[in-house]
Parts: sequence; C-alpha cells; structure tokens
Amino acid sequence: MIIRKKYLFYILAITSSFIAAAVTAIDSYVGGQPAFKYDPWAFAFSLFFVGAIITMIITMVLSIPLRGSSLGAKLLDPSFKRIRFVQKKEIKTHLIAGIMNAINTIGYCAIISQVQDPSVILSFSQIVILYLLLMESITDKDVPTLVEVQSSVIVTFGAILASISLTGEFLLVPILIVFLVVNPTWAIFSIYQRKLKLMKIRNRPNDSLNIRFWNVVFSCLFTAIILFFYDFFFSQQHLVSGVLSSLDPHYFILLAATMGTTFISYVLYIRALGMWKASVNNAIRASTIIFAIPFSLLMLHLGLLTEFSTDPVMLVIKIMGMILIVMGIVSFALTLVKAYIFITVKPGYRLKDTMNKLWDIRGVSHVTVTGGKYDFIVKVSTRTLLKGYERIIRRLDEIDGIKKYHWESVLKDWEKI
Amino acid sequence: MISAYILIMIQPGKTDKAIKEMRRIDNVAKISIIAGEYDIVVRAQVKNLEELLAVTDDIQMIEGVTKTTTQIIEKEISLQ
Repeated sequence: MIIRKKYLFYILAITSSFIAAAVTAIDSYVGGQPAFKYDPWAFAFSLFFVGAIITMIITMVLSIPLRGSSLGAKLLDPSFKRIRFVQKKEIKTHLIAGIMNAINTIGYCAIISQVQDPSVILSFSQIVILYLLLMESITDKDVPTLVEVQSSVIVTFGAILASISLTGEFLLVPILIVFLVVNPTWAIFSIYQRKLKLMKIRNRPNDSLNIRFWNVVFSCLFTAIILFFYDFFFSQQHLVSGVLSSLDPHYFILLAATMGTTFISYVLYIRALGMWKASVNNAIRASTIIFAIPFSLLMLHLGLLTEFSTDPVMLVIKIMGMILIVMGIVSFALTLVKAYIFITVKPGYRLKDTMNKLWDIRGVSHVTVTGGKYDFIVKVSTRTLLKGYERIIRRLDEIDGIKKYHWESVLKDWEKI
Repeated sequence: MISAYILIMIQPGKTDKAIKEMRRIDNVAKISIIAGEYDIVVRAQVKNLEELLAVTDDIQMIEGVTKTTTQIIEKEISLQ
C-alpha cells in the first residue's frame, strides 16, 4: 500500500501514544497490587523480567512465516523478518539504550518511593522534549529551527499543565531526580533507539520488534545489576522480592498483560522514531496525557481507581494544557518544506568527495549518486524556504565540483508501507 | 536490489489521475509531486533491470505522461 509518509508517521506516533495511555492505566492497577505498592524497585525488576519473557514469546509468534514474509511484518513492521540475535554493530547502541532505560526506571521508582502522589513531580518529565532538542542540536546535523523550538515549548508547557495535580507534595530531591536522572536518561534512550532503527542489518532496515525485544533484555540485565548492588550495600531484598513476585502466577499474568501491551506501543514508537526526530516523536507522545483520560474514567467506572479530580479549576488548567499540546503538534505537522536538488558536476572532481560535502550540509536527508542526466539527486528537509536558501543553497554554491543544480520543491508525497 | 528515480513530465491537468494509477504499479516505493522542471518523481525499487523496464513501461503507458528520465542510483547515504 502506498500512503502519504506524513500520515503514516502520525498514525504510528499517535497509535503508540494511545496504547501507552492504556498501559498507564494497567500499570497503575498492577503497581497498586500488595507486592508492588510499597516496593516500586521490585515492581521495576518484575516488569522487565516478565517483560523479557513475554516479549520473546510475542516476537517468536510474530516470526511465523506468512505469504513470503512474516506475521510481524504484516501486522507491525514491514522490515521485520524473524527474531534474531543482536548483531555486532548494534551491541554498543543496545547497551547504552538498555542502561539508560534501566536507570530511568530506577529513577522513576526512587521518586515513587519518596513521594506519595508523584504527579506534581512527574509532570516535569515532559521537559524531556527540550532536552532532546538540545541534544539533537549538538549530536545531529539537524539544528532545530525557531518553529521547532516554539512548537516544542508549547507542547512541553501544555503537557505540564495537562498532567499536573495540585494534591501532591513539591519536594526538592524528587524534582532533582527528574531533571538530573529521569529526563537525561529518557532523552539518551530515545536518541539511541532512533540510532538503532536507522541502522541497516544485512542490507535491510533494522526492525522495531527485535530492537524492542533486545532493549527489554538489556534493561532487565542492567536493572538486576543495579538492584543487586543497591540491596548488597543497603541490606535490602528488592531483587529477591521482584523475582519471587514475578513467579507468582497471578502477578505474572498482570505483568505479562502490561508488558505485552507496552511491546506494541514501543514497536510503533520505534518505527515512528525511524521516520522523524526523537524530539518531535516525544512531543507527539505527550498526547498520551489526553488519551489517558478515557482510560482513567473507565478504570474509575470499573472501580479499579478511586480518585479522579473534578475540581473546576483543575479541569480548566488541564483543558488549557490539552489545547496547547494539540496546537504544538499541529504546528509541527504544518511547517516542513521538502525538496529534491538535481545536480550535475564538473569533470575532474571525485564524486565521493562531492558526495561527502553534500552530506555535510544541514537539512540534507538523502544523497544519491545517479547514472543518467544528473550526477546527484539530493533530498532536503527544512522548516522554511528562507532557511533552505541560507543553509542549503549557499553551501551548495561553495562546493567547487558542482557545475549546475536546480531545486524542485516537493508539493505532496506518498510512500510504500 | 536496484533503486532508481524516474523523473516525469505530465500534461497540465492530468497529475491527480496519473498519481492514482502510479500508486497501483508494483515496485514503486515513493511518489512525489514536485514544482520545477519535472512534475513527478517516482522512486522504484526492483530486483533487476528487467523489472525496472517494466516499471518505466507502466509509467509511460499512463495517460498524460509526456516524458520520463530514469536515474539509476549507484550509491546512497541517507538518514533512514
């Protein structure tokens, strides 16, 4: 099927957020179980431990061949073939993503264990979008434009307003944990998941199912190591308690339900990460806060949740936050200019050198050497035509080997999924 | 796997119908409407040159297509 790439990206990112909202509701129920309520550390380990098992089972089922490809390729990610071992080139990236996910989860547990109602504090984790913008401007060749910064700030503040609860306490140490542990580790985790998705494995695009499976395995491993040392130095039993709770059939089923649903949410999120920057993905992920409302109401109706604020002031603040989130996401979607540049080169210049110079230009997403009328076809993305001129055309003029080029703006495009 | 860009010129007023037909062609990975010398860029992904010929042939059979220029990709660097 050929559909518009922009639509595919938003379908993936928003569906992932919707499922993540369902996960949040299931998590709050599972986390409230007697074994986990007063031991969030054991809960974190149990999630990854049972998660690794259930993720492996799901990935194996999705590896079943089906009409020339696999069940997983038909349902979730066309790049998926079957469950496989981590490749050598992926190991370092997987290790970093795994350790970041583990530290992030531990940080989250540390907050829960210190504050009774962590919603005031955790709403600041939405600032991760701004961390990502900063990191991407340092590590990627794609410096954020003013529109991206504006949209991100709108989404971030919207998300804080929409998720805040005035019933919680405002304590310094948990806030510091959010800013110094939870946000940086999530930002690095997102960037490394994107790196993995952009890798080519055996000449095929990397698939999000194996990326997620191995991430859960590495996160489980690192969480176990961190908890082992924590228990050892502070004479605690969190790791043992986590293992024992995981083996209890009742808890196993609940944990498997939450991690199985999380798996689908993450697979779609990782696919979306392969299509656009981590900051934009996380901005759209903020819509989870909006989707969480119907799930919270459902849980309330079923008697699985007991508290839901109906204070008019809080509702107005939350609605304002939601409007800001939607406005920010829409402004991301409407401000992207894409173009092809067709280039012919002068004789006497090596194509490889010109190719590298073209690739170094900010905003260039594809450089192809082609045989035919043109020597290069370059694809670029920019937020405004002015930036396209300043950042791309001026740099093209500086490359000696280029004889002639012409810019062809993309008005609309479709892509095979 | 061979990838190629097919640059297409279209008669005015026939673009939407042509796009509709191009979306049905096998081995077409991407279609972009562009503004400039050409009207449409198609990216084809095929196993061999025989299949590429079939794609260009199918495109040339579409009503309104006046000219096609095929650029075979020899090397590529991309973010995705």
